[in-house]
Amino acid sequence: MFSFQVGSLLNIALILGTVLGAAALLIWVERRLLGFFNDRLGPNRVGPFGILQSVADVIKLITKEDWIPPFADKLPFVVAPIILPIVMLLSFAMIPFAPGVGIIDMNIGLLFVMAMAGLAAYSAMLGGLASNNKFALLGGLRAAGQMISYEVFLGISLLGVVILSDSFSLRGIVEAQSDGWYVFPQFIGFMVFMVAALAESHRWPFDLPEGEAEIISGFNTEYSGMKFGLFFVGEYIGMLFMACLIPVLFFGGWHAPFGLEFGNEIISGLFWMAAKTSVFIGFFVLVRAALARPRYDQLMSYGWLVMLPLSLLNLLITGAIVLMQGS
Amino acid sequence: MSVFFYGSAIIAILATLMVITRTNIVHALLYFIVSLLAIAVIFYTLGAPFAAALEVIVYAGAIMVMFLFVVMMLNLGQVTQDQEKAWLVPSIWIGPSIMAVPLLIEVLYAINLQQEQMAHTVIGAKEVGASLFGPYVLAVELASMLLLAGLVGAFHLARK
Amino acid sequence: MNIDLFPLILYGGIVIAAIIGLLVASYLLGQKRTDHASQDVYESGVLPVGSPNIKISVPFYLTAILFIIFDLEAVFLFAWAISIREAGWVGFIEVFIFIAILVAGLIYLWRSGALEWRTTRQMDDRQSIKGEGGVVNIKRLGDKTSETPVKGSH
Repeated sequence: MFSFQVGSLLNIALILGTVLGAAALLIWVERRLLGFFNDRLGPNRVGPFGILQSVADVIKLITKEDWIPPFADKLPFVVAPIILPIVMLLSFAMIPFAPGVGIIDMNIGLLFVMAMAGLAAYSAMLGGLASNNKFALLGGLRAAGQMISYEVFLGISLLGVVILSDSFSLRGIVEAQSDGWYVFPQFIGFMVFMVAALAESHRWPFDLPEGEAEIISGFNTEYSGMKFGLFFVGEYIGMLFMACLIPVLFFGGWHAPFGLEFGNEIISGLFWMAAKTSVFIGFFVLVRAALARPRYDQLMSYGWLVMLPLSLLNLLITGAIVLMQGS
Repeated sequence: MSVFFYGSAIIAILATLMVITRTNIVHALLYFIVSLLAIAVIFYTLGAPFAAALEVIVYAGAIMVMFLFVVMMLNLGQVTQDQEKAWLVPSIWIGPSIMAVPLLIEVLYAINLQQEQMAHTVIGAKEVGASLFGPYVLAVELASMLLLAGLVGAFHLARK
Repeated sequence: MNIDLFPLILYGGIVIAAIIGLLVASYLLGQKRTDHASQDVYESGVLPVGSPNIKISVPFYLTAILFIIFDLEAVFLFAWAISIREAGWVGFIEVFIFIAILVAGLIYLWRSGALEWRTTRQMDDRQSIKGEGGVVNIKRLGDKTSETPVKGSH
């Protein structure tokens, strides 16, 4: 049972622990980085450099009142915050971290990820609807409109990678990149996917569902305590997931750049995977610090009129080139 | 695997019963999503992983989202719940239910007639794609026309 | 079955148990108190105005229809992408026509204004002028008043 292979008990425990730990650390990293970008300190009181800030936050959230407003619809109100972290953590089951490290390798891995991304939309929608608060409802509507619009070409932008690797399995996709990363032939797909990934996890600058200047806090206005904490953690786990998925799909996963492998292939793979993920986390935080929120109509027209045709075009061109090379 | 099959089949049936009996439309939708997820598991255990993934992506992830979206937009609140309560009286559902019982018996009988073992060949995404864009290429073409008609029709209905 | 699903089921079970455990822990550990404003709808400290059952204009549901249609298109494209080498050029031509038909639909909707999420106010505001320091001042069409807003007006 304790052999080191995909799906072993040790693997599951280590991955779940690492993901949860990394998500907690990520909250601190983001706040410190934002502090750095904004020329202020950020959280620096709890533990060395404030690194234990998230632990303090969790303790605080758990001891807060588990409040369900009397005017809320109880069942969806409680279910909504649970959906997001579960769905995002389940997506991690498909990520191949290194040779032999991963929870499961399914031949429909990418479709599983897409399905989970689709289910994630319920979290914001149900939360906004169940709160019986008009600002929450507006936030939920915004979240729904945005997520369903960007989900379409989130899927289509990945199909170029599927065509090149001839596989839906994420492990298969990484293995197919041993002789070249897909970011070069699939640059358009990569750019479209980046934008769609930001919008899907409603990260800045696409945080219109939570646009606090306009609609208080959006769909989670009525949430407090651990239920709010689950929305919050779910968003960070989602960001971590996207930062893991982008290297897997476009940057060769665990493969080392320029042949810079060292030691054991598992250790080397884990190192490069972590390094690439960190780069994208840094990028997401930088985007949050640098860009302003677009107007809602700009967001929608951009999605439907620019990104969707672009991803379709990318798909057709990729298909034509692959067929020409094949024949 | 038959444990999973029967387990998710029971969940699907129970969830669907809850869908019918809920008066609150949001609760009904939640149970409907559970039912669809259970059906996806059934597809997977029957050896159709691609169909299982599409069941979640299209039904649970798209069509139910649209239902919920429309519920959010109309946002009728208590009114529909009272309406549903008024509709869900026994005098209304008992007739159709009695008529449905013979159908259920017929289906069970038909399934029992067919004593073959369930097929255990796995049909992956590649096989589905190859047959869709091979022998059934015309059907895909027609599907695109249908989708176009849906698009234009929905636009004109919405504009009224 | 082609692969063993046991790790996924185990992992999923642990994940669900952990998340629900967090909620139960906060239910058990959390403080319980009621203040006189606890029961109110939160609208940034202002007393709630009107009913939460606001109606959104129905044409907005076109977004949902668009999503369904293009999600179904994406499903056909999934099937094509994985079997592109088996389907060959026949499949490619078919997909080309398929995409062309739906893009034609998209262009039709765009030209008839269905992909317009701007409010009428925003459409009126399209005429904007550059102010000092590169600031864009919005000036309403047919607005006769000066550029500085009148005090007290919105």
